[in-house]
Amino acid sequence: MNDIVWLTMRRMRTPLIIMILVYSFSVFGMLAIPGQDEAGNPVQVGFLDATYFVAIMATTIGFGEIPNTFTAAQRLYTYAILFPNVIAWLYSIGTIISLFVDPQFRAVLALSRFSRNVRRIRGDYYIVCGFGYTGRMIVAGLLKRGISAAIIEREEKIIQSMKLSEDFAHLPAIVGSVTDQNLLDMAGLNEEIRNCIGVIAITNKDHVNLTIAITSKLLRPDLPVMARAETRRVVHNMLSFGTDYPVDPYTIFAERFYLALKSPAKYLVQDWLISVPGTRLREEMRPPEGRWIVAGVGRFGSRMTATLDKAGVECTVIDVHPDRVKERPGSVLGRGTEAGTLIEAGVKDAVGIIAGTGDDVDNLSIIMTALELNPELFVIARQESPRNDDLFDASQADLVARRSLIVARRILAVATTPLLPVFNEHLVHQDESFARTVENRLAEVLDGYSPGLWTIDITGERAESVRAARQEGVRIRLEHLLVNSRTLTPERLPCVCLMLERGSAREFLPEPGQELLKGDRLLFAGRGVARREMIFSLTEPAALVSLATGRPQPRGILMRKLARKRAN
Amino acid sequence: MNFEKVVFGFFIVLALTLNFGFFVGDIDNPDHHHATELGAALAVSLIATIIKFGDRSQMGAVLLATSLVADLQLIIAAFVWGWAANVSETGMTSEILASIVSLSGGALLANLVSVTLLLAETISIRR
Repeated sequence: MNDIVWLTMRRMRTPLIIMILVYSFSVFGMLAIPGQDEAGNPVQVGFLDATYFVAIMATTIGFGEIPNTFTAAQRLYTYAILFPNVIAWLYSIGTIISLFVDPQFRAVLALSRFSRNVRRIRGDYYIVCGFGYTGRMIVAGLLKRGISAAIIEREEKIIQSMKLSEDFAHLPAIVGSVTDQNLLDMAGLNEEIRNCIGVIAITNKDHVNLTIAITSKLLRPDLPVMARAETRRVVHNMLSFGTDYPVDPYTIFAERFYLALKSPAKYLVQDWLISVPGTRLREEMRPPEGRWIVAGVGRFGSRMTATLDKAGVECTVIDVHPDRVKERPGSVLGRGTEAGTLIEAGVKDAVGIIAGTGDDVDNLSIIMTALELNPELFVIARQESPRNDDLFDASQADLVARRSLIVARRILAVATTPLLPVFNEHLVHQDESFARTVENRLAEVLDGYSPGLWTIDITGERAESVRAARQEGVRIRLEHLLVNSRTLTPERLPCVCLMLERGSAREFLPEPGQELLKGDRLLFAGRGVARREMIFSLTEPAALVSLATGRPQPRGILMRKLARKRAN
Repeated sequence: MNFEKVVFGFFIVLALTLNFGFFVGDIDNPDHHHATELGAALAVSLIATIIKFGDRSQMGAVLLATSLVADLQLIIAAFVWGWAANVSETGMTSEILASIVSLSGGALLANLVSVTLLLAETISIRR
């Protein structure tokens, strides 16, 4: 705001000075020259008349010769001052208009609007750096869960198209360098802004994401940072200064592929938990056992071969780089898009192929050629550009590694349900039977569609019922939360409690008999209706107590006191 | 010598001198206070204000503030004069003139502060 005032004042200095000079000179001249009334007597022109006349003359309004018809001397003088006055006016107006279209002025204006809009956000929000395909997906997901976002993006075109879209137009957004400390400060790294809950860095340059992560960790170490990083070096670098979630899409995919190879149940449960709520649940996927072909061992392919090696699966590599081929005995030099190299790599007796070059068209070509040679192949493809979605959907690939989708899903999961990564970690390290238990419990309540996830913190108004229960001397247990308190006979809600966090202690798949205390944090998976009912039970003090005691509880304070007295 | 500084000093000092010229004399004697002089003082004071625009230093801010005070006082004085001479039924009386002159006296004080600050700044600059 301040900048705008100063910039305007500085620009308007010369035109205003010129205008005042010309104006006052003209007025003093008008005062000096005597006029004439109707009778022909000489009269002095007053201050009021002189200033009024010059004003209407200079602005070209021109009501006429005021107060009396002018003498020849007055007309001559008016002639002399007319043009300088009009020019001074036009000059001032022109300067103001050119100020409005001045890029510097508009940048200052946009900046102050951004800052104002950020401060106007009510409720929690994330700073999102980079608003490409991934950014759009993440912000849409955040909005769906009632979390807002402040957007910084380098490309002006993207922000313009964003301002035209219905879903995002109301969000504060600014065009600028995403690594600009000043912008980040304004967007929410400032200590004064309390409702910023994290930073999401998803530009397509690793180094830029790294800079954002460092900046925010230095300025606000308490804010969680999620950043996309595609090389191991950057991931390690980010972890070294405490970045909370470096998201490397290819490593994530490779880890999930390892799960699919080693433990289908764990893979399936993870898949259910991270897929978009309300989509059809996927069937168990079993990659076939046997020899695999990996075409292209760059960033993606090398992680996949490492995964296959770790799982003890044999694989043959095809790559155009001679040194990569030399590294691995038995590899084939070539692109993999032509039948010759594929046959040389033994595509006829392989069970699966991974098309992992950095070029989408090459990958599609590899898939098609390979399937022609061996229709039984299990196909995994790497897709770089989100624009090729339709092509890859039509390509008969069993699994597609979509970079932006993987990043968006992972970041959304972490940003909206911070307990989920903890649960997933636990799931991976447990044995298969734990995963089977989770799978069975989820399948019971889900009805074939993927679950929503939500976290319940028993604090603030959600602790009302627990507080009320303590007053009544009854214990609230998890099983009370898992039933609908509004139906006549308690009905089970379609959800599963995955985990309970109490201080630093964690319990996975807690028993229904577990007592709930103030400050507990619970992770649920299930249908959305369960979440609504649960929140109702928690905020309505009488509801859970009625359930726990088994008799309806009076809701007013007075009636409650009476009831207590009677019980005593 | 910097031409910009000359213009800057010129207008600030001129605002003070014109203001002083209008102010001196018996407070309620119309022969001692001329309308044109008040008009000139107001015009120069406005120019001095605009010249001070856009300097973001502490000194610049205080200078601008003093000028704004002088403008305010002079504009009120000019308005009272215009009202008395053209609108009110009593015409210009010695009481009204006294209040106009005392208003310009306030502006004179503000201009004096402004010039003092200017001098202080000039003296503090070492060669």
